[in-house]
Amino acid sequence: MAIDKIPIEGFTFEQFKIEKIPALPAYVERDPELVPKSKRKVVINPSRTCIPFGAMYATLGVNRGLALVQGAQGCTTYVRYTFSRIFKESAVIATTSFHEDAAVFGGRKNLIHGIRNLAVRYKPDVIAIVTTCSSEIIGDDLDSFIKMARKKLIKEIGEEAGNKVRIVPISTPSFAGSHIEGYNRAAKAYLMEFAQEKTTANNKVTIIPGMINPGDSREIKHLLTEMGIEFSFLFDTSKTLDAPLRPPMEFPYYPKGGTTVEAMEDIPNAIATFALSKHEGTKGAEYLKNKFDIPAYIGPLLMGVHNTDMFLKNLSAATGKKVPESLLDERGMLMDTMADSYNHTMMKKVALFGDPDIVIGATRFVCELGMEPTVVLGGTKSKTFDKDIAEIMEEYGYEPKVFNGGDLFEMDEYLKKNRPDVILGHSKGVDIAKEIDVPFVRFGFPVYDRFGYQKRPVLGYQGAELFLTNIVNAMLDHTYPDDRTHQL
Amino acid sequence: MPLITMKCDELIPERGKHTYITDTENPVIPACNVTTIPGDMTERGCPFAGARGVVGGPIVDIIHMVHSPVGCAYYTWGSRRSLPDWYSWSGPNKLDNAAFNRRYCVTTDMEEKDVVFGGGTKLKKACIEAFKMFPEAKGLFMYTTCTSGLIGDDIPAVAKQVEKTVGKPVFFAQAPGCSGVSQSKGHHVLNHEFYRQIKALREKNPDLCMKEEEKTPYDINLIGDYNMDWDIKAIIPLFEQMGIRVVATFTGNERIENLIKMPDAKLNVVHCQRSAGYIAELINEHAGTTHLDVTLYGIVETSKALRDVGKHFGLEKQAEAVIEKETARIKESIAYYRSKLEGKTVALYVGAPRVWHWIHLMEELGMEIVAMACTFAHKDDYEKINAKAKSNILVIDNPNEFEVEEMLHDYKPDLFLCGLKEKYIARKMGVSTVNSHSYEKGPYADYFGFVNFARDIYQGFYAPVWNFVKNNPSEEVE
Repeated sequence: MAIDKIPIEGFTFEQFKIEKIPALPAYVERDPELVPKSKRKVVINPSRTCIPFGAMYATLGVNRGLALVQGAQGCTTYVRYTFSRIFKESAVIATTSFHEDAAVFGGRKNLIHGIRNLAVRYKPDVIAIVTTCSSEIIGDDLDSFIKMARKKLIKEIGEEAGNKVRIVPISTPSFAGSHIEGYNRAAKAYLMEFAQEKTTANNKVTIIPGMINPGDSREIKHLLTEMGIEFSFLFDTSKTLDAPLRPPMEFPYYPKGGTTVEAMEDIPNAIATFALSKHEGTKGAEYLKNKFDIPAYIGPLLMGVHNTDMFLKNLSAATGKKVPESLLDERGMLMDTMADSYNHTMMKKVALFGDPDIVIGATRFVCELGMEPTVVLGGTKSKTFDKDIAEIMEEYGYEPKVFNGGDLFEMDEYLKKNRPDVILGHSKGVDIAKEIDVPFVRFGFPVYDRFGYQKRPVLGYQGAELFLTNIVNAMLDHTYPDDRTHQL
Repeated sequence: MPLITMKCDELIPERGKHTYITDTENPVIPACNVTTIPGDMTERGCPFAGARGVVGGPIVDIIHMVHSPVGCAYYTWGSRRSLPDWYSWSGPNKLDNAAFNRRYCVTTDMEEKDVVFGGGTKLKKACIEAFKMFPEAKGLFMYTTCTSGLIGDDIPAVAKQVEKTVGKPVFFAQAPGCSGVSQSKGHHVLNHEFYRQIKALREKNPDLCMKEEEKTPYDINLIGDYNMDWDIKAIIPLFEQMGIRVVATFTGNERIENLIKMPDAKLNVVHCQRSAGYIAELINEHAGTTHLDVTLYGIVETSKALRDVGKHFGLEKQAEAVIEKETARIKESIAYYRSKLEGKTVALYVGAPRVWHWIHLMEELGMEIVAMACTFAHKDDYEKINAKAKSNILVIDNPNEFEVEEMLHDYKPDLFLCGLKEKYIARKMGVSTVNSHSYEKGPYADYFGFVNFARDIYQGFYAPVWNFVKNNPSEEVE
């Protein structure tokens, strides 16, 4: 570095010219015997994370709700870190801090102490007890611990205050599934605590959206508002994970928004439940159906034309409200963009990966754009994934390679030999696209390496339009400069 | 001034033992490196994070096998910005991807049946498969977590078997998340277990040691630098200019073959004395190598470090020459930033060492420290803080969310140096931040890194957004 003077701007990363050292002279195909995930024990580059994550995500959508994670500190810290990376927001989650003594004697003391400290200092409306690998292996008896904690609390702060904070236990041992199952379990656990009895019937619908972004939650609320339908939204992260910067701030920090206790208690009075993501919320919808006989509409996630149409039709059927002009216009605007851009989408090969529900939705949407899905990966193994994809393919006549519960490594190797025109997926797959030099469109969970994705929708007509333009522009950006782009 | 209790801690008085006000006359050591109070909203991580995420993870040419359900592996997949330069393969214009140890997340993905019947067999198979899949890998490091630790899989036995089958070194660190009070425990475990295994490897296979003819009288190890944002690109050339050779960096961007040669160096220069001081001690016990504790941030401390190392080797003149040249390169830029930052107040919250590493650096920029906090500091860290800090500064051990908020509110620092989790809440309170763990746009170490650091601090203060935050339209109407 023969620089005599370091400029005011500093010495930037680009100026380093870091010499990158390859171990192999060129890409070498990995042992084909071992590449398929089903043929090996080792998992490489998973497209999913642990169960407690989903339960914590759900709780971040509860007004004055705090998750208290019964386990080691990492179970909380790593998840908070992940939320902050994605949403660029603070995610307030507590831990009962398991150390050696908890591993030996169990987590009773930790939980009782933890609930007490949280309740007296933070005065939350809801504490969700999220279990982890360690507490489940040790065999913590959560219910009895919670009773003891309640007793202790009442003794200290009195009957009324001690009973006020609601405690929701959610069993989430990480070895029993992935983050989407954690959300699923949370939906049921919350409803079991709060949806206990019908009081006065109303015309509301209940929405259990699944692990969607704040921008998507806003889009769904927009559709409902345009339809003139009142709703309860479980769990609402639209403001909690996309909060304004407006000091002075009250502390302890509780973001505005989130589903309130009153809204959750009102859910048994609703006329229908819409669990938008089949793998993330069905358990909640089924609970409401079994207990209160509330009709449940399960999925599909409203991506693209068909799925959004179906959502609106189902809403009409459930509430008797008609789809208004304003939404037909929105639909028309999507049609308009689809008509304007089909020369750039038709017959393009596309690979998709991510959580099952959003991938199923996106797969249908790309078919609607005349694109050909050649690879479809659902990061968590699902009983219904193959069937759902097959249904779409029957309609459109494509034969993609389907990885149900696959890891990104097997997809990576497959794509090296079968190069698509564009890849749609989350931040964990960016390198895959870079290595084969294919345009990449970010969507789903998690997107942490760019700004704003969590704020903008991919759901509904407006979301579909935005998503479509992202796809088309990514392909145009990638092949630019092209003289034809003067007239698209 | 003695220990104090913050307002938000009135209901958990135990926290009062962890907070104090500095006093150069009567220094206090708070309760530290002890268990966290459940439910207090701690910012701490777990021992696994210390072992896999911090110390082990940066080793670049080995497979990092996380023996656990998927989450622990997922969260440590390329998240910390300890950067490497070693890739599996490359093609023309194809080096834009991530380097080997950040590109792949490798795990046994334990499921319910593994928990019930034990995960040892699966781990063994997974390791052998991983070696087959990544023939370029030079070894493997296994990490246990709560799950594999609690069910008691016999990790050393599996390591031995895999090593025998594959013929490449297999290391392990058993630091499950619930095995200690903070990530610091994981640093400790990894240092000890890794060094024990290095020693055994060298005894078994002397070819792995540095040959006599390769040794020079000026060989050092850089211990405890994880190459955040290419810090070592700033650090290592300084030593090279002095005629000193860095044999191994523990562990930033380092190859396993060099780490095995650590005992062959003549001096250990220890940067992060919290997470890697242990291995320097161990090398000292085993090979008699002395170690020198240094701070490689800012002009004052870096120059002192170079002088100390120069003195050790009789290279005082060379050290002075480097100091002069490097200081001259950054003088003007630092003077500019000092003129912009003078008198601003700052709160410092990092793991532990960077708090005392940066005390003098802040003074060099003319900034005043109003509060400090450490996630996992031990007694010796607080001794170092007390030795460097002025009086009347708030110090919090193992701070929690509420205390951080109260500190920001009551002490009103202009700048908060903190981690990613805390940075967004501070910004919501209108306080600018610099990510002190992974940096904003590093490197921050030594001389030219100091300019980057000062620039990022400056950008925090002078971003026009803060003016808009202060004056919103409703206030203007009134």
